[in-house]
Amino acid sequence: MLNFIVKRLIQIPVVMLVLSLMIVGLTQLLTPEQRAAPYIRSEQQAARLEQIIEQRGLRDPFPVQYGRWLGSTLQGDLGYSKASNQDVIATIKERLPRTIELTILTAIPILLISVWLGTLSALHKDKFIDQFLRVVVVLGYSLPSFVVGILLLAVFYAYLGWLPGSGQLNVVNTFALGDIRTYTGLLTIDAALNGRWDIAWDALQHMILPALTLVIVLSANIIKVMRNNMLEALTSDYVRTARAKGLAPKAVNRKHARRNALLSIVTLGGFLIIGLLGGSLITETIFAFPGVGQWVVQAAVGVDLAAVLGFAMLTAVIVVLVSTVVDILYGVIDPRVRFD
Amino acid sequence: MKKVAALATLLTLTTALAVAPKDTLVIQESADIPTMDPGVTYDTASGAITENLYETLLTYSGASLTKLEPLLATKWTISNGGKTYTFDLRKGVKFHSGNAMTCADAEYSFERNLVTNSAESGNWFISESLLGTGANANDDKTITWARIDKAVECNNAGQLVFTLPAVDPAFLAKLAYTGQSIVDSKHAAKIGEWSGKEADWKAWVGKDLTNSNLSKQPSGTGAYKFVRKDANAFLATAFDGYWGKKPAIKNIVIQKVSELAARQQAFLKGDADLIEGGGRAVDEEQIKGKPGVVWQDGFPSTSATAFFMNENIKATGLLGSGKLDGKGIPANFFKDANVRRGFSYAFNYDQYIQDVQKGKGKQRTMLLPDTFPGYDAKVNTYTFDAAKAKQFFQRAWGGQVWKNGFVLTANYRAGSVPSQTAMEILKKNIEALNPKFRVNIQAKQWSEMLASSKKGEEAMIVIGWAPDYADPDNFMYTFYSSNGYYFPRNNWKDTQVDKWLEQARNTVNTAERNRLYSLVGKKAYEQAPYILMPAPVGYSFMRDSLVGADQKSFNPMISFSYTGTFWKELSKK
Repeated sequence: MLNFIVKRLIQIPVVMLVLSLMIVGLTQLLTPEQRAAPYIRSEQQAARLEQIIEQRGLRDPFPVQYGRWLGSTLQGDLGYSKASNQDVIATIKERLPRTIELTILTAIPILLISVWLGTLSALHKDKFIDQFLRVVVVLGYSLPSFVVGILLLAVFYAYLGWLPGSGQLNVVNTFALGDIRTYTGLLTIDAALNGRWDIAWDALQHMILPALTLVIVLSANIIKVMRNNMLEALTSDYVRTARAKGLAPKAVNRKHARRNALLSIVTLGGFLIIGLLGGSLITETIFAFPGVGQWVVQAAVGVDLAAVLGFAMLTAVIVVLVSTVVDILYGVIDPRVRFD
Repeated sequence: MKKVAALATLLTLTTALAVAPKDTLVIQESADIPTMDPGVTYDTASGAITENLYETLLTYSGASLTKLEPLLATKWTISNGGKTYTFDLRKGVKFHSGNAMTCADAEYSFERNLVTNSAESGNWFISESLLGTGANANDDKTITWARIDKAVECNNAGQLVFTLPAVDPAFLAKLAYTGQSIVDSKHAAKIGEWSGKEADWKAWVGKDLTNSNLSKQPSGTGAYKFVRKDANAFLATAFDGYWGKKPAIKNIVIQKVSELAARQQAFLKGDADLIEGGGRAVDEEQIKGKPGVVWQDGFPSTSATAFFMNENIKATGLLGSGKLDGKGIPANFFKDANVRRGFSYAFNYDQYIQDVQKGKGKQRTMLLPDTFPGYDAKVNTYTFDAAKAKQFFQRAWGGQVWKNGFVLTANYRAGSVPSQTAMEILKKNIEALNPKFRVNIQAKQWSEMLASSKKGEEAMIVIGWAPDYADPDNFMYTFYSSNGYYFPRNNWKDTQVDKWLEQARNTVNTAERNRLYSLVGKKAYEQAPYILMPAPVGYSFMRDSLVGADQKSFNPMISFSYTGTFWKELSKK
């Protein structure tokens, strides 16, 4: 097992190197003027375009530009992001914990609800509850997250006033944030550890609508897969044998059918978490949630090369780490897939 | 159901406190703040912050663009035939760090701008005044430390003395620009910025200060002091040690909300006092007339936009056959003034005002904001007149244009609806004049268009200019001089106009300058090097609890464009 984990961790720098070569290579398809665009904010500044290109060596050959990037990266400097107006490392340090917080709050309900509803749907095949859930799944599938997000914002914030609007804290609490000591970077937990329960509660409330949006949009797929897996498992030989042995239906459904049906959900769950940790681009943008997703949208729009590369590196680490965890979980659920 | 009701009540109780508090100004906008270092501030988002954390020697008096009043200076004298400016500085002024402001700080600030003068900054124009060149020491080897040191000095009486190589009538206006704010030299040196000494000046030449230590830890003399900035918000609070009147609003919060719908909802609920809108059409529909909203209209616009007609098109790709054979245009197609006049008469200005500006637009006589000194309202303007356009096209190129027709390819900035609509209006009218006339329009990325137009490779484009400082030279020279910034884009040269513009640059006599600019305006009307786009009429909206922002106090040179005032002049009821 340890061997397996070490092997996976060694993959990280290799994946990162290949990715960076590809991305820096791709950007060479852009003109130096296009790559200088993030440094220009007004028509007056555009008058200085040539100096900006010169100063940043944007006309240098590809190996020189890549070498410069690699050199500073190896020294722990991923460059300066124009999209966040700070260093890439500082941006990731600030924003990743926010995204992790939202991921925790989102992924757990999505997985629990989906597994439960998928099972429920399969166990009541073609009955009302199944029909109803199938409609819900189709709706969840077809509604884009920007529609769900704005709809929830309009209803729960603007019309009913039950939940706060966009951002991470209410205005009155934004000033108090400076007094909070950072332990984990997760605002709700840090505020609680500082004894500021009001801020923790405020931050939590601000996450309800973005989390709900993601739950609605992202659950549909997993419910559907869980339902299909469960239906398949319920009609399989081993379940029939278990029933024939006279086991209680609850035990058959839970221990025999559901356990097997969960295998592909682990894989899907891995993808879900990779997606969420990589930032929920649209949801974070709509709710002004300061995670990595919001940052990367701006970076992409503004051709912010340092940010795009930094984000790609981050994603590589996330993908390798999460898929390692998924493989380990596979072994836990299915004894046939063990590494030692 | 009971559980849901209980949860709802709990949530309502805790969110009821969300409305923007009375001592706090809440602004929501989509963009981030690029920098808080005045040494590189060259955009309105950064300017809106630095102009409130820092102060300049002088500033605009109220809404006036011509009257300047002292701010960190108390008075100034001009001597040596307009080449020496001596400033008395305000006493008892403190920086946010607690350091006292002295003449050394002012000297440091200007020298820092001259030393760094990075490509991203607007320091090229102060360098033009003080060193006679917009370049920095890396690009112009004649710039030495001795020249920088001599340009701005403190005399024995503690006065700040500027020595200019030549007269510059725009010098005082340039000093009012927030990029020329006085920074805390002791604090700056302590946190690792330039020491202010000759020893390390070379290391700072051309350095981009966007992410400088001073940008992260600003210390100015302004009425507001920086508190914190994160991915979500910028916070500032009233500075207790401020030398002037204590501001009425204690806290400033600028929240970053990219989504327009989210900003609108926060504004209509009263959670935000000011928000970045979605353009006139959207704002009039969704904000105007709603409860708690004050809508103000008729603000001046300080940008000038035009169709450029390039008289020396260098890209063969846009010329078609390259001849006047009805399948293309020659590179010097626009060289004939009759072509340019024909195009000027073919643009429907009123339709543009209706379609793009919702009826709130104004035709200008010259490429200079009408509120600027030097603007002459009496200069003639072109109106849409198909018959006259036809007459000029018939005269153009000895009748060849009318007889053979042409195919012109014009590019507009991708994503710019006003530019696209303007192009479509022009295309429709030109093609209606003669079936042999054809205008193809296509979208092009801004960065590419900037580069290609600078090389003279665009045939016809739409570009604008916004002011760095309130002086007509900043527009007139830029657009109309053959030494101006926009010359490579349209290649229109008139020796008489060049002479007038140089004269206007070198005299401090306001009446004479006005006369010269008026002459340029008249000549430009007659020669039609540009098709002048109608200027938009500005508007603003805010919560009705906000006081101190109206048309009388709105100054378009203030970067905080929501109110056109400094934050210290606002209050809430």
